[in-house]
Amino acid sequence: MSKIGPLIQRYAKQELRNSNAIFSLGLYLIGITYLIYLLGGQNAADSTWNTLLWIVIFFGAVNQASRSFEFESGDYFFYYQTVAGPKETIIAKLIYNSLYMLLLSGIAWALFTLFYGNAVYNPLVFAGGLALGCVGFSAILTLANGIAERSGGNATLSSILAIPLTIPVLKIVSAINIQAMVGASLDEVYEMIGSLFALDLAIGLLAYLLFPYLWQD
Amino acid sequence: MTGRFYKALGVVLVLYSLIYGLLTTVPDLPIIEQSIRNLFYHVSMWFSMVAMMAGSFGNAIGFLRGENLLKDTRSVSLAETGMLFAFLGLFTGMMWAKFTWGAWWTNDPKLNGSAITILIYLAYFVLRNGIEEPRKKARISAVYNIFAFVMMIVFIGILPRMTDSLHPGNGGNPGFNSYDLDNRLRLVFYPAVIGWILIGTWIAALRYRIKNLSK
Repeated sequence: MSKIGPLIQRYAKQELRNSNAIFSLGLYLIGITYLIYLLGGQNAADSTWNTLLWIVIFFGAVNQASRSFEFESGDYFFYYQTVAGPKETIIAKLIYNSLYMLLLSGIAWALFTLFYGNAVYNPLVFAGGLALGCVGFSAILTLANGIAERSGGNATLSSILAIPLTIPVLKIVSAINIQAMVGASLDEVYEMIGSLFALDLAIGLLAYLLFPYLWQD
Repeated sequence: MTGRFYKALGVVLVLYSLIYGLLTTVPDLPIIEQSIRNLFYHVSMWFSMVAMMAGSFGNAIGFLRGENLLKDTRSVSLAETGMLFAFLGLFTGMMWAKFTWGAWWTNDPKLNGSAITILIYLAYFVLRNGIEEPRKKARISAVYNIFAFVMMIVFIGILPRMTDSLHPGNGGNPGFNSYDLDNRLRLVFYPAVIGWILIGTWIAALRYRIKNLSK
């Protein structure tokens, strides 16, 4: 378990070294937000604002996650297998990808606020929903990407596998976000946050239990 | 010989539900009227689908525990049969929706859930087609199957409880309760569910044997 920290550091280093990927992701975020602005996004109603935000985050995350096992393919796979076991690898990947996606969605939110003005009434609840959503979302994407990678490394396959699975998380998160935007009663929101948390736990646990079966040859 | 009993029972129960379902008297409710008989044909499809997918899930776990390729074949046969029931459930449901709610498709959590379930399992078949080596195919698709089944239960069992739905007993509980399922309906509905599950098991068993023979 002591290997988790160094593994995360290693993933971060790999990402930083590969500055091309970071710049393209940043460019995507700014470009798409500005494109929506030009197409009239600043007049969007709450539900549209929320939908657009999630579409931006969704494609950013799918794009990022599709590179999730980039460095573990081919011969490197055997190297990583000797360095760390599957349980450490999946925990490190889950933490790293969640953090990455939190950062991504935070930037997207900031850009949306910058361009379209603040539409959120209760930022704390909104951030909580966003954070829990990111954790569940990235866990699903990580496992789906692992499956796609092990089955031959087809990038389209990972989207085909992941997209239908992410819908329950997206549905709950967008419901929480809408409540946070209109400032609805908190009792209802807490219940939804609770169920989202439970769902995240279930997804994380499944990923943890199933990953070792993928991580062998 | 043991197989004959359940097959015969399945045929008898399905025939009983098909015929007696049309003859029995039903509660006289507004809007839904005689189409309430579709309960026997539509809802039993979903029960059978979940049963088939649960069988597929169980066999996927079984495969991961023992690496027995027969379990993988059994798992995929059951998933294919489950897909058949999913499509039948979707079509019978669309017809029912047209005559009671006025549209073939409505934005209802249960409809979305079933559509997404179909997408998930189609992705499962796509995944299986993409891998050549049988043992690897079995292992990777078993991992996806287990994950997919749990998410499917969340879609069709938990999400509808959180939102309003056009389905009976919803906005809290997606199941049936006393007001919309009286004893006359139960007398046909439960045998129909059991009968269709047995027929489904039969279909899956046939598919399983064909797959093994063609190897």
